[in-house]
Amino acid sequence: MDFGFTREEESFRDEVLGFLDGYRDLDGYFHRGADTADGVRRVYRALGDRGWLSLSWPVEFGGGGRSPAYEFILWDEMAYARVARPPMGPGLVAKALMSHGTGEQRDRFLADLRRGRTGFCLGYSEPDAGSDLAAVRTKARRDGDEYVVDGAKCWTSNAHWSDHIWLLCRTGAPDSRSRGLSVLIVPLSTPGVTVSPIPTLDGGRLNEVRFDGARVPAANRVGPENEGWQVVGSALAVERHVQFPPKRLRRDLHDLLDDLEAAGVHRDPVVRRRLQDLAVRVAEVEALALALLGEVISGEPAAVPAAYHKLAGTVLAQDIARTGMELGTARALVKGTDTEFLWRQSILETIGGGTSEVLRGLIARQEFGLRA
Amino acid sequence: MDFDPSPTQRALLDALGTLLSRSAGTDRSRELAERGAYDHVLEAVLRRDGFLDLFASEDAGPLEATLAVELIAAELGAVTPVPHLLVLPALGLEQPAGPVVASLDGPAGPVRYGAEATQLLLADGDRCVVAELDPAAAEPVPSAYGYPLARVVPAWHRELAAGTAGTLVNWWRVGASAEAVGMMRRALDLTVAYTKDRTVFRRSLGSFQALQHRLAELSVLVEGARWLVYEAAFNGAPAEASAVAAAHTMTALGRLTRETHQIMGAIGLTTEHDLHLWTLRLQAQRAELGGGQGPRRAAADARWAAAS
Repeated sequence: MDFGFTREEESFRDEVLGFLDGYRDLDGYFHRGADTADGVRRVYRALGDRGWLSLSWPVEFGGGGRSPAYEFILWDEMAYARVARPPMGPGLVAKALMSHGTGEQRDRFLADLRRGRTGFCLGYSEPDAGSDLAAVRTKARRDGDEYVVDGAKCWTSNAHWSDHIWLLCRTGAPDSRSRGLSVLIVPLSTPGVTVSPIPTLDGGRLNEVRFDGARVPAANRVGPENEGWQVVGSALAVERHVQFPPKRLRRDLHDLLDDLEAAGVHRDPVVRRRLQDLAVRVAEVEALALALLGEVISGEPAAVPAAYHKLAGTVLAQDIARTGMELGTARALVKGTDTEFLWRQSILETIGGGTSEVLRGLIARQEFGLRA
Repeated sequence: MDFDPSPTQRALLDALGTLLSRSAGTDRSRELAERGAYDHVLEAVLRRDGFLDLFASEDAGPLEATLAVELIAAELGAVTPVPHLLVLPALGLEQPAGPVVASLDGPAGPVRYGAEATQLLLADGDRCVVAELDPAAAEPVPSAYGYPLARVVPAWHRELAAGTAGTLVNWWRVGASAEAVGMMRRALDLTVAYTKDRTVFRRSLGSFQALQHRLAELSVLVEGARWLVYEAAFNGAPAEASAVAAAHTMTALGRLTRETHQIMGAIGLTTEHDLHLWTLRLQAQRAELGGGQGPRRAAADARWAAAS
């Protein structure tokens, strides 16, 4: 057991902090207010130029071959600085292509992904398939060398500024559940693909992505037909250590302290008691994040530690934001303050990327062996 | 003791419900909120039909006025029912047309419908101050929490008799809590209906026992708040009972908001869905009362000041 980062890892953190000095004004973690997509694209390209989008990729695929700890440090500091979240492309998509893609697909996509030149969004959820992904209905019908795709995805983050969608779709019979799904890479510029906004409470947008007879080359299918469930499952596993960076919470807490100090209430014993509780819980989530990172480094599946971490972290993000709103007077309602924005934003955290209910069920089944 | 609504109360709420189904509701609320506007039409109808006079009327009273405040808020009526139905009559003041606003902790903070308000009620020590407002001088501030807000500028003011601040604050706590009770119930009803309709893992969402228990707990919270509010109104808004009702309600609304959004899932996070029309306004209710701490401290002060 060793709780620390190595000297090399800490020196990489210093490099990251130096890099971030050029981007601290960019609010790409939350995409608040005006469209920040251009800025985030610039950050991804700059990261790609440094080889920081492929830190832990195997050397044979042009990666750095380094420990996942480097990725964790990078995205943790990015979260504290509120600059950007880890992109799906070089993370989940690239790693899935390395294990399930063809040689031709790796040649076609990996270089651009590594360099931050191409953006992916995840097309999993549908109006009637959220937590229950095996109920996906978007249909891909084989027609010669192509698939013809019909259906709709919803709650799709970042689809409006991505180049491709990583699409989970039904290639088997309608009731085939998880045994009849495949993964296709679909360029969002494909005729028959339409992206439209779904406005959310935080002032941002999710998207609906519709497919009306969109024709996709069969060469864009990742993994065998009807084995998409395995592709998606293993893709999920490789990104758990960067999915919810704990320093986002450290920053939330610091901002809350600043707010309460400005309001002159930070010395109030009741307020201090609340802050102490939150500070202890931030430390708890940091510990759970490191435990999860340790599992990922040792190559464990880490689904249960990831569930612990996300459950504790996302509800804490809400509790920090709610503390600000609960202690605030009418001034806290004025739009644009950190407090009121984080209240609206953090509601999403316990739902997106795996709801708390699904994670609790996973812990009960995998950790305790309980069944319904 | 009788906890059933009386025939008068039933008739009153039926009539008000009919009126609100025509003059309030989600569509009208969205349209007015888009413009940041107060609903002068609804206020005029409520005035015409006598709902602003319930508090002091012979066949009704403060409890009936409180029930009406609850229903107006549940139906998202874009008016200021707490001052019009409760606070102004409790203080024996005339009812001006247009929004009336109050500040329980000094004049600095933004207030609901402040850009159109002509009168401000201010608690200042144990005195109550009534200030006329110049809407042209008001400074609108943006808010995502349902109600249009503005900072107001008092023009001239007059003081009411000593001891009136308590009447203002206590009835304000009862009224704001009644509004919150109405809105919490709607948010919960919407969520329960969703769990019956939604199918997940080949079952109805509401068939999962873990969710059933959470929904049941929320109903306990809302019912507790409801009876505390009614009891405080029935007894004429005594300081401790009003503070306790507000303390419980303002705590309950935090949990209710979290749970209804969580159970509703992604659809509830969108502005297209109606859930946020109630949940965002609920946060504003609490902030207007000075946050969750204010009523709790007042309850403790009332209890221990009385005991010492």
